[in-house]
Amino acid sequence: MADAPWAEIREKFQAALALSRVELHKNPEKEPYKSKYSARALLEEVKALLGPAPEDEDERPQADDSLGAGDHALALPAELVEAEGPVAQGAVRRAVIEFHLGVNHIDTEELSAGEEHLVKCLRLLRKYRLSHDCVSLYIQAQNNLGILWSEREEIETAQAYLESSEALYNQYMKEIGSPPLDPTEHFLPEEEKLAEQERSKRFEKVYTHNLYYLAQVYQHMEMFEKAAHYCHSTLKRQLEHNAYHPMEWAINAATLSQFYINKQCFMEARHCLSAANVIFGQTGKIRTTEDTTEAEGDVPELYHQRKGEIARCWIKYCLTLMQNAQLSMQDNIGELDLDKQSELRALRKKELDEEESVRKKAVQFGTGELCDAISAVEEKVSYLRPSDFEEARELFLMGQHYVFEAKEFFQIDGYVTDHIEVVQDHSALFKVLAFFETDMERRCKMHKRRIAMLEPLIVDLNPQYYLLVNRQIQFEVAHAYYDMMDLKIAIADKLRDPDSHIVKKINSLNKSALKYYQLFLDSLRDPNKVFPEHIGDDVLRPAMLAKFRVARLYGKIITADPKKELENMATSLEHYKFIVDYCEKHPEAAQEIEVELELSKEMVSLLPTKMERFRTKMSLT
Amino acid sequence: MAGASVKVAVRVRPFNARETSQDAKCVVSMQGSTTSIINPRQSKDAPPKSFTFDYSYWSHTSAEDPQFASQQQVYRDIGEEMLLHAFEGYNVCIFAYGQTGAGKSYTMMGRQEPGQQGIVPQLCEDLFSRVSKNQSAQLSYSVEVSYMEIYCERVRDLLNPKSRGSLRVREHPILGPYVQDLSKLAVTSYADIADLMDCGNKARTVAATNMNETSSRSHAVFTIVFTQRCHDQLTGLDSEKVSKISLVDLAGSERADSSGARGMRLKEGANINKSLTTLGKVISALADMQSKKRKSDFIPYRDSVLTWLLKENLGGNSRTAMIAALSPADINYEETLSTLRYADRTKQIRCNAVINEDPNARLIRELQEEVARLRELLMAQGLSASALGGLKVDEGSPGGALPAVSSPSAPASPSSPAAHNGELEPSFSPNAEPQIGPEEAMERLQETEKIIAELNETWEEKLRKTEALRMEREALLAEMGVAVREDGGTVGVFSPKKGPQDARVPALRGISRAA
Repeated sequence: MADAPWAEIREKFQAALALSRVELHKNPEKEPYKSKYSARALLEEVKALLGPAPEDEDERPQADDSLGAGDHALALPAELVEAEGPVAQGAVRRAVIEFHLGVNHIDTEELSAGEEHLVKCLRLLRKYRLSHDCVSLYIQAQNNLGILWSEREEIETAQAYLESSEALYNQYMKEIGSPPLDPTEHFLPEEEKLAEQERSKRFEKVYTHNLYYLAQVYQHMEMFEKAAHYCHSTLKRQLEHNAYHPMEWAINAATLSQFYINKQCFMEARHCLSAANVIFGQTGKIRTTEDTTEAEGDVPELYHQRKGEIARCWIKYCLTLMQNAQLSMQDNIGELDLDKQSELRALRKKELDEEESVRKKAVQFGTGELCDAISAVEEKVSYLRPSDFEEARELFLMGQHYVFEAKEFFQIDGYVTDHIEVVQDHSALFKVLAFFETDMERRCKMHKRRIAMLEPLIVDLNPQYYLLVNRQIQFEVAHAYYDMMDLKIAIADKLRDPDSHIVKKINSLNKSALKYYQLFLDSLRDPNKVFPEHIGDDVLRPAMLAKFRVARLYGKIITADPKKELENMATSLEHYKFIVDYCEKHPEAAQEIEVELELSKEMVSLLPTKMERFRTKMSLT
Repeated sequence: MAGASVKVAVRVRPFNARETSQDAKCVVSMQGSTTSIINPRQSKDAPPKSFTFDYSYWSHTSAEDPQFASQQQVYRDIGEEMLLHAFEGYNVCIFAYGQTGAGKSYTMMGRQEPGQQGIVPQLCEDLFSRVSKNQSAQLSYSVEVSYMEIYCERVRDLLNPKSRGSLRVREHPILGPYVQDLSKLAVTSYADIADLMDCGNKARTVAATNMNETSSRSHAVFTIVFTQRCHDQLTGLDSEKVSKISLVDLAGSERADSSGARGMRLKEGANINKSLTTLGKVISALADMQSKKRKSDFIPYRDSVLTWLLKENLGGNSRTAMIAALSPADINYEETLSTLRYADRTKQIRCNAVINEDPNARLIRELQEEVARLRELLMAQGLSASALGGLKVDEGSPGGALPAVSSPSAPASPSSPAAHNGELEPSFSPNAEPQIGPEEAMERLQETEKIIAELNETWEEKLRKTEALRMEREALLAEMGVAVREDGGTVGVFSPKKGPQDARVPALRGISRAA
């Protein structure tokens, strides 16, 4: 190769690279790809200057090239062939150009042309793909093909390319390990080439992206655990290579915890959340190497918002862990089952024994100091399901702490929906804590706290905008009153002589529960206050349940006045009848509330008789 | 009722000049409310993908085609219904969605020529004509409009030229979600609205050029706040119904993702996001996907300005419609398919504000017990009823009254006469015993009832007995000249009258249910 064209080639290539980095919006509006097209023209010139590819042996097996996913070479481990000698060097240089041309075409939405170039690049490099000169280029070409095939919705092909990249990286790191050449370097004079450190950084970044793309591929393939694992690894690598924005990283880790919570992997969830706390603490303190610009402008505000959001992720952690424990320990009417409690304890013991092995399998963030800092946060809270009140209380207090933290940002004025969600979580924390509480009076007080925090919310909530939220709260408050009433009845039941004080209390709770069920049912009315003929699917079951409970509540009013009692029976009957009639008219509703409907039917047939007798008795006394 | 589900329509336009010149093939077909699309790259035998919507509008041909859906028809089906809801006092929202150039603006705005006007002008005109028809001394109306644009999570006021930077989105307990400082202009005619819209559209184009963005990447929201005041002459009271009509032009699907409009995840194909800045989006999508069944998580990225907007329209008392514009051409196959998929998903959009119900198990068990008790009771009675010849109601007949289950007032007098009721569930009334004589039946009945009475003695009856005792005690005390308080506590001994149970009740009074 003569010197003159070589200088020209180098110049043109650098110019092309510079052009391809021009941000799209700097182009004229009508020609958004102008800079890309110019870059492409230069690359084509370079390609021409490099001359035609020699009819190399490696190019002969044409049949393979179009196979993509089916390409056997993708799966085979590579053998190290150094790209030495003029033939190899020529091939590598042409491959570099093909790679940049490929990316360029993809950028301008010419996928098929882009694919052709990338495939050509791979073909030129195949032999040398494990070499120091080519490995990064090869991986990047494959990654780009992966992205390309994902855009064509052929996700398996994308997966094959990306997994091949992953394997190649691993093999290279295992067998060679020295930081390889970056694809921008091939046309640079020796003295301008990148330092080892920079090469390593770039190569690692390529691999981080590789993992990130795989995460997305697995997600689209609905391999969620694998996807989470790759997201987790991506986060880990961002930390390792100091390529993160603390606030963003923290919120991502906290979000990932929510995935683990749903999968009931509480140890992993705790790890993510603890790391989120630690890294969030770095906000403003650490300079980042990654140019991850926050889109939002108001940074202090965003800071507080993110803090509140991480707090909310923690709330869910505490809440879910407690609810999970409740689910595994309750009997069929929601009370603590002692056998199940010991089962859970035994299970936990097993979990503790296996802790180390589970931890080893999981991706751990950070090393050294960072690792210690994360562990320190982790130690404050258990990842095991609580089995008694004391353990539940720990989680409750932590959850409550984060409730207060979240409420600092998510105030009712300005963040109505978020604020209410936080309060609902707070109420849920109390509710699940009540399950662990054995003393009925104290349990009662917990429900009372729930009511106290929820009731004021609906008072000034405009149902035109917050109808569904309103309904949720009405329903929850009604339930809480109902639960309190049940508890008071149970307490009274234990008393030798229940006094009229407690009777009054029970009746007053009954009335409040009724009131909220009624409010809920009234919210179903149309603007002209007419109850709908047909209840919407989304509220059908709650509406029927509310009716059912109302019916039951009327049956539970304690009164010494026989007339009133008869009235209550009649009202109760009316509501049971509503359920039965509605389900007759709308058979599809019946399957929503099978058990309740059966019982309502029974009551509809039994209550009139009961009332009849009652009347007779009244007329006699 | 909440507009829990969205009305979804799709509409396919005719070929444009470019498509005609390129000899484009039509890949979309419609049959009733079903829309099908064939993949031009696959063989002809491959089955088309079909989607069913509330409406599938065939506007690919011209008015001569009996299948052809005109601007008027689209308005009648969707616009008019929404307008009527607004008059009823609901918030309504119409979304338009689709690739740029798929006919969104034509459907929403249309052209000035007669018969070519889109939903928005027709709706506004209709609104004002209905208002003028309904004029009366008692009724008055006012209409205000605002127009904003959402681009990259930033909100811009399109009607206020002085407005700079991004407006803040907030929620107020009474006012609902709102955009701080967004101008609201009063209008009295459709002409006013048309002017403002025109202004806003210009502002949108200008801004887009300045910022090197295309308007197709931003969402535009035109809002009409419609207030109906009613003066009741009898009572002298004024009432007010406020409804919001939101007309939303969603960003063109093809660019929404790259523009960072991550909110609605407009494009949910298999596309891989290249930049790590989108990691958060990927993770939240992952977490979101897992939480479909149970709502036990919190996903920070989930809410964007636009989802917030959707939330308003799904979480409140509102009605929502969405129209997806489709290109018929084979070259747009991918985009059209993605639009169809998006529209299909929209059908299932539900606000995540589901009502959490508590397990009913305890209540059910309790009630089952009661039913069993009652049944037992009535078995005994059914026996006597059959014994007495199945009389319908025999009011004065003598017999033993059963103490009513869980009724505190029934006097414990099992020897009082029994009532009969022939209207028993056939399931247990045919359970008749062999015929026996009336006296014998009565005897057996009384016996059974006594047993049942004992079985059924609940705490409430204990309570009643206690109460009876208290009454006796009281009477004695009264005789002795000691005053007893109304609630039964002896003076000065029991808790103060304002017990904790009373303290809570006033809090309930403040609940307003008015819309």
